[in-house]
Amino acid sequence: MADDGEPAPSPEEMLRLIERQRADTVRRLKGDPRLLYAPWGVAWLLGFGTLFLHYGLGGEPYLAISQMQAVGVMLSLQVLAGGVAAYGITRMSGQVRGDSSARGTMYGYAWFAGMVLMAVVASRMSPQLPPEESGLLWAAASMLVVGVLYMAGGAIWLDWSMFFVGVCVLAVNAVGVVLGAGWHALLSSVLLGGGFVVVSFWLWRRG
Amino acid sequence: MTAGSPPPELDPVIHAQARLRVVAALNTLGDGDEMAFPALKDLLGMTAGNLSVHLTKLEDAGYVRITKTHRGRTPVTYVALTKRGRLAFDEYTKAIRALLDTAGGPS
Repeated sequence: MADDGEPAPSPEEMLRLIERQRADTVRRLKGDPRLLYAPWGVAWLLGFGTLFLHYGLGGEPYLAISQMQAVGVMLSLQVLAGGVAAYGITRMSGQVRGDSSARGTMYGYAWFAGMVLMAVVASRMSPQLPPEESGLLWAAASMLVVGVLYMAGGAIWLDWSMFFVGVCVLAVNAVGVVLGAGWHALLSSVLLGGGFVVVSFWLWRRG
Repeated sequence: MTAGSPPPELDPVIHAQARLRVVAALNTLGDGDEMAFPALKDLLGMTAGNLSVHLTKLEDAGYVRITKTHRGRTPVTYVALTKRGRLAFDEYTKAIRALLDTAGGPS
């Protein structure tokens, strides 16, 4: 342990020490990206993957499961991912209190409110729609909330990678909706699900 | 930096590895934020006793603010850099850079 008796290191070493400490601290406070991004990635990869196998691209399902089963897989994986992410966030938020934890709390409630409202709107509208369109409504509306909140999160924490992730989610969502339910599920699974897994490990390695 | 100016003085409170690391870590927090003592201890890899000693020195200099409170029934201590501490850290990094410049720069 460094103590007063120890001779002070050279200015270069002190500067390096400051930089290393700053990087370590930022890394620690940001939370583990493997807990914050990867669970969503896995949930979308498998959940949208299942939906895609149900829809197929030419109107023919690739897997004989009902839409309810496919949506069920999707939703339970999302709940699981939410649980893991919440664990990651609680582990982070015990370390610091003050303005930034107030920020995090409000942001958390914004997610909750967005998802609840999405469910209210979609459950009111979806019975009026043909099955494929109703599935697409749920998927597209939930990804709209996700994308907008990631962009907002980027603004709150001045984090360009988070902002950019939100932009990608919205872009994939838009293209998917235009192309239809099967394509939406395929693109979301591969690009967003796979993308989130890759981003989480890339952020983790970069530190 | 102007050549020939006397080398800037380094703040003795901060110019010790352990305390420099404490201040550098706390300086990354936002203005209204405080860090819990155990989190700071883990982050720095110091023992509780060692960290306490350094925090006391920093508190005596008016560089950190230590708040003892309770979360439920467990006592928790929070540590934050004061305005003065932030300023001192800025001055210190400036001084270190100036020293490096007069020495012909790093590397």
